[in-house]
Amino acid sequence: MSIERNKRKPFPWVKTAVAAVVVGALIVLGAQVFERQLHPESAGIAPAARVPGAEFPTDTFKGKDVPQPINYSHKLHAGDLGINCLYCHTYARRSKVAGIPPTAKCMGCHTVVGTDKPEIEKLTQMWQSNQSPAWNKVNDVPDFVHFSHERHLQKFLFDNPEMDIKNAPDVCAMCHGDMNQVGVAKKMKPLTMGFCIRCHENNQGPSDCTRCHK
Amino acid sequence: MSKTKINRRNFLKVLGLGGAGAALAGCDMPSYVTLEEGEEKIYSYLAPEEYVIPGVGVWYASTCLQCPAACGTHGRVREGRVLKLEGNPNTAVNAGKLCQMGQAALQAHFNPDRITEPLINGQPASWDDALALINEKATKNVAWMTGAISGHQRVLLDAHLAATGKGRHYAVETINARAWTDAGKAVLSDAMPTLHLDKAEAVLSLGADMLGTWISPVTFMGQYGQFRAAPRGVLMAVEPAMSLTGANADQWVAAKPGTEAAVALGVGHLLMTKHGLSLNSMPNATSAFQSMTPARVQDIAGVSEAALNKIADTLASRKPSLVVANASHAAARVAMALNIMLGNVGKTLTPGASIVADPLAPIMGSTKDLAEFAQNADAGKIDAVFITGANPAFIAPQGLNMAAALKAVGFKVALATCHDETTKVCDVVLPLSSALEDWGTHVPAYGGKPGVVHLQQPLMEPLHAETRGLGDILLTLGKSAGVDGLEAFEDYYGYLRTAVSAMIGSEQEGDWQRVLQAGQFEAPAQDHAFSTGSDVALGFSENADAGLHLVTVARQGLYDGRHANSSWLQEAPDQITKAVWDSWAEMHPKTAADFGLKDGDYVSLTTQGGAITTRIFTYKGVHPKAVCVPMGRGHTDYGRWASNGVNPLTIVDAHLGDWQSSEVLATATPVKISAVGENRHLVRLMDTDQQHGRKLVATISAQQFGRTQGGA
Repeated sequence: MSIERNKRKPFPWVKTAVAAVVVGALIVLGAQVFERQLHPESAGIAPAARVPGAEFPTDTFKGKDVPQPINYSHKLHAGDLGINCLYCHTYARRSKVAGIPPTAKCMGCHTVVGTDKPEIEKLTQMWQSNQSPAWNKVNDVPDFVHFSHERHLQKFLFDNPEMDIKNAPDVCAMCHGDMNQVGVAKKMKPLTMGFCIRCHENNQGPSDCTRCHK
Repeated sequence: MSKTKINRRNFLKVLGLGGAGAALAGCDMPSYVTLEEGEEKIYSYLAPEEYVIPGVGVWYASTCLQCPAACGTHGRVREGRVLKLEGNPNTAVNAGKLCQMGQAALQAHFNPDRITEPLINGQPASWDDALALINEKATKNVAWMTGAISGHQRVLLDAHLAATGKGRHYAVETINARAWTDAGKAVLSDAMPTLHLDKAEAVLSLGADMLGTWISPVTFMGQYGQFRAAPRGVLMAVEPAMSLTGANADQWVAAKPGTEAAVALGVGHLLMTKHGLSLNSMPNATSAFQSMTPARVQDIAGVSEAALNKIADTLASRKPSLVVANASHAAARVAMALNIMLGNVGKTLTPGASIVADPLAPIMGSTKDLAEFAQNADAGKIDAVFITGANPAFIAPQGLNMAAALKAVGFKVALATCHDETTKVCDVVLPLSSALEDWGTHVPAYGGKPGVVHLQQPLMEPLHAETRGLGDILLTLGKSAGVDGLEAFEDYYGYLRTAVSAMIGSEQEGDWQRVLQAGQFEAPAQDHAFSTGSDVALGFSENADAGLHLVTVARQGLYDGRHANSSWLQEAPDQITKAVWDSWAEMHPKTAADFGLKDGDYVSLTTQGGAITTRIFTYKGVHPKAVCVPMGRGHTDYGRWASNGVNPLTIVDAHLGDWQSSEVLATATPVKISAVGENRHLVRLMDTDQQHGRKLVATISAQQFGRTQGGA
């Protein structure tokens, strides 16, 4: 059937503009995928779970190298020496923040261990002059997001019958990746809302807006 | 015709693709802007106490100093900062509640206009220089001016005065209960009897704003709830302009300013003649009651016979009742006589009790002291004055010539957290710690358990390096003046800890910690001697002026103006008019019409003391012969948020020569008004008193209700 249509004069630039937008979007998205090695996994696909009873988020993110006042090495302490995350980041089990350990915790060992190392000397100097190190926050979410470490540890670690506290690093790795590989902290998961929501969907977490955006 | 074709299919395809791109970009792609890495700082602790957990607040007990009531508080502290204040549930004065002024203490503490260093003649100086100058100049004829004060701060202050020539301590409070306490002392030998609002079946208030600013509002608020519980008490209020208490009254009676005593006498008259009560123990009162007929009350106060009868009938039929008054000394005395006649003594009015350690007892303050300071300063009797917790340059009526009086004092030292009109004229200004950074003990004047002492402790480290606490400054001054026994103490904390340990009879750390946790401790108290019915002259005199009178009232919030530098309290709407951030003059619509004025018209209010210009607010809750301008605004030098409104305190009658038997700020000042030709809308929250047909509050007349619901 052929109905005579009112052929409106199309704007000649529309097609080019749309093409440009699409190409631009592809470039931006592509750059982020390539640059940051972002691999969003769709719901339901999970590799071998390291946390029994939970779907482990497999996203990754290539974080910046953020310098810190003391060039601490997680690889040495958490990796080689096998110190549990919760030994230093104690507050994670009873507060919304995991917390950077007080210098007193470091000095517990480092009054005698490695006292000749330059970073330890730096730390000792700060300790003796009552100076708090000014750490740069690496894993950060916006101020309008209310995240509680305590709740998440409660669910995946303490209330999880198959989990033992010595395997706490596996739970921390859900959002912080494998910290045994890095020196100072590096962001290894996107920590975007999509990242949170997917894990909540997979692990029966709350989906009510006001739980996190109160 | 162009070759390009946008047909529907292509358009939808592009839309879908673009939309998907946008969605992908929104929820999941890390936004370089929102998710920061390495932007914020975390300052870790060095060696925190066990109970200090980042992210978890710890509560500490302290005391609120936003008004003289001294309610106990709990402050939530997180990561070394106090973030929220609540009432201390264990202090009887406020039973866990905290009024808006208490909440705003947080803002007073973090106020950006805090004084951060000592000043000499307006120039920054060191503490050493400032203290050296004080040692040089403040050696004799020294006076202290403070607000209401109690506890160990008072002890040190008295000691300093004793060591510098036995000068006088002027305790100045614009808002006070001196009318009531003087009457209590005269009639009952008890300046502060205990009132049992919760036990009363009827309450008559003659200008005593129990729920707003009178004595200890939070205490009365708590009792008021019980007063209104079944069987529901009846509240009556007589005042020239509606207060918060008046707004809650079942029967509100507008009386001409300054005539509340006459109304009370009229009530007494009816109680005697109509209800057969008698007061034989007080013949003076009896004859005063007898001669005040309802017709005279109508004449003097503009209160109708019907209204007067209703009050008397209520008081006679509901027992026990309670009559409170603060409008004038005479009204308070009549109220005491009425309480005796009604048999309330022993039921709703019982002997008060005070702490035995008299040097710690509270001095409540008055404007009588303000007037006497002006008089003595003018007469050259004061060589040096220390001023803290008072702003005489702002609150003094013109008639007291406070500016000249202050000038006549050779050396003036202000201890303050923020600059105000008074610090501006002082030679030395010492930066004070805020109430949330300081130590202290405080004995509540009313509402606490007898003998209770409230503890004030710092809720965080001082915000500013060079501020010092009041107690610390008093200790330093005391040592320089040679007061005995202070050398052992390095700071006020040490002094206080020793003093408190002596009072609780233990030096154990655990017991001190328990006191800090509770925020209070009990010291021995004794009941007041109490005698009913000293037959004093009631002191009533008629106000002959038939014209318009200015009244200024205190509204909880800005109080006497001390909180005008709090944006929270400026923003909090006035309880009666719901106005914010500016002044107004409440005027009855009939009066406005008589003067050809409409709501919002600016008028000049002129009294013997001066003139102020502000807009009128037509309101039926004010006597037609009264113009009410609430106090609190009109600052000229009080920080970034206080430059608004007008100050009625300057133009009220100073009642010079009369302040022995009345407060300087007594209620009736003759005033003339004239329009200045401007009109501006007063900004109010919920800017209407009408429902505009929206049926927000459905009403039905009692008659109709009786008919339709079969009510008795």
